Amino acid sequence: MARGELIDTPDWIRLLAKVVAPRRERERFRAMLAEERRAFERSHGYDVFGAHPDGAAIAHFVTGFLYDRWFRVKSEGHAHIPATGPVIVAANHSGTLPFDAMMIYADLLRRTDPPRLPRAVADSFVAGLPFIGLLFARAGVVGGARRNVEYLLQEDELLLIFPEGVPGISKRFGQRYQLQRFRGGHVELAMKYGASIVPAGLVGAEEQMPQIARLPLRLFGAPFLPVPATPLPLPVRYHLAYGEPIRFERDPEAADDPVRIREGTERVQSAVQELIDRQLAEREGLFR
Amino acid sequence: MSRVLVTGGTTTVGRALVRKLLADPDVERVLVVGNEPQRSSLALDGRLTHLQADLARERSVRSLVFGPVREEGVTTIVHMATHRAVVEGERAHALHVEGTRRLLHFAERVPSVRRFVYRSFGSVYARDARLPVRIDEDHPLRIGTRTPQTILDRVEADLAVCARMGMSRISIAVLRCAECLAPGAGSQLWDYLQSKVCLRPMGFDPMINVISDEDLSRALLLAARSDAEGIFTIPGLDTLPLSRIIARFGRRDVPIPGPAVRPLYRLRRVAIRADFHPDVSRGRLHFGGVLDGERAAKVLGYEPETPVRWPLQLTEVSRRSMVRNPRSLRGRVERWLSRQ
Repeated sequence: MARGELIDTPDWIRLLAKVVAPRRERERFRAMLAEERRAFERSHGYDVFGAHPDGAAIAHFVTGFLYDRWFRVKSEGHAHIPATGPVIVAANHSGTLPFDAMMIYADLLRRTDPPRLPRAVADSFVAGLPFIGLLFARAGVVGGARRNVEYLLQEDELLLIFPEGVPGISKRFGQRYQLQRFRGGHVELAMKYGASIVPAGLVGAEEQMPQIARLPLRLFGAPFLPVPATPLPLPVRYHLAYGEPIRFERDPEAADDPVRIREGTERVQSAVQELIDRQLAEREGLFR
Repeated sequence: MSRVLVTGGTTTVGRALVRKLLADPDVERVLVVGNEPQRSSLALDGRLTHLQADLARERSVRSLVFGPVREEGVTTIVHMATHRAVVEGERAHALHVEGTRRLLHFAERVPSVRRFVYRSFGSVYARDARLPVRIDEDHPLRIGTRTPQTILDRVEADLAVCARMGMSRISIAVLRCAECLAPGAGSQLWDYLQSKVCLRPMGFDPMINVISDEDLSRALLLAARSDAEGIFTIPGLDTLPLSRIIARFGRRDVPIPGPAVRPLYRLRRVAIRADFHPDVSRGRLHFGGVLDGERAAKVLGYEPETPVRWPLQLTEVSRRSMVRNPRSLRGRVERWLSRQ
């Protein structure tokens, strides 16, 4: 199926995309996916994980209000994101609900030049959430299984990973901006596939939605049900900075060495912590 | 590969494979084994012999292997016999598992046989939110207390063949193939699509890879020609969401709350003896799974080439939803979308 031809899309996605995203944007995402994905042309407009240009267009619109008006994201350091090749953006995770992931995704979608579709790596239970898992998949989110990430790195994609995992987003308010121990999987895969890791520090999300309790309900495989202090996230300003990329040469032997993986992980964690500390020092107030 | 025995050769895929074998001048003999009497469409070539055998019975397998297989000097066996519907019980187990095991064991005692190709199924792999979407040969298998017998049989037969790799003097290949949308190909997705209304869990739309009978038979042919031993996942060319597959088949896609899907399909199976068995497809209507063909491409030289012949073309899918009821909200929306 050549680009520009009829693409097999369900009515409701087409409808939503046409209502919320101008034709120019839809064409841009279609072109972005077509250039990035070899399999796109033969898979009815979807990639194997279910990403679709109209899904990305919807995500672009949905995150637009939050990005521009609600959290008023200020970001810097986009020049550090390589234009080609496998890239892992490793960021801190916080805020009870993953608005931080949505804002970094939105920022990468808008500000990378040439444009690249970020593939956010979510915890595996997300794919089991009805509707949410489907919408995320259409926007380019993938489950955190190792083979999924490996495949995307082999395809030279731009990945968004939160090495703290669920402990990062669910930490108590008193622990804000204290990074939880980074997992080493992203460094191991960066070594295996020669990917660059771009550290990203996000300030603001910790205060958006303080968590007052956790209910031990394992709905759809989620580890718990958070109870936030506010029904909606507070309109705090997000400050996002990308640091210098940490380049790893392709070295499968190093990827099997736990000592080198730990060293690499600590390097990434300290780079993210530095970005957070710098932005916290420069921040003039929660909402400014 | 001069003398070939094909079990399950009277199915759609089997016939496609036999046609390909007969098109090869190097193939001297093709023995087709089926449970049915001879079919005229397969008897037009002098090199072709049709044999009737019940692979569920030991005596029948023994007579086949130490009779025609030994006498004709068969060099390659392509084993793809399976029940055409989901059937459980001792007889199904005897065909799928014991029949496969016996065929391989007896073939090891026939000196002329050098190659054994077993057609297995992608449905032996587990599907879950926590598992990778790309399924390679090392993906976890679907074994558990809640797994229905049909799948357990497929897994057991597959593993019984795999267990002989490296132990047998015959080189063995196991092809775990994507869903083949053809009648009698052992596809639950095909059975699912035979209903005019397809119930789907609301809020899920998994990515599914399907293979055409043309590609599947070509993969079997390449495996039969090769000497490479091992397990190979065989994907098809088409990867698309379940909702689009339903639309391409011209069926009505009805999303309903997830927990209601299995009871309704169970009821339907009991009421009208439908072939689709919701327990066999457990997880597959929720979570995507796309076979990875890297090893097959590298070792066997197999790349999917032929798309599935969809009953409806893309333009027809769109037009159909409009034409069905132009005054409905859906029809109006379609008209509006097509004008944009």
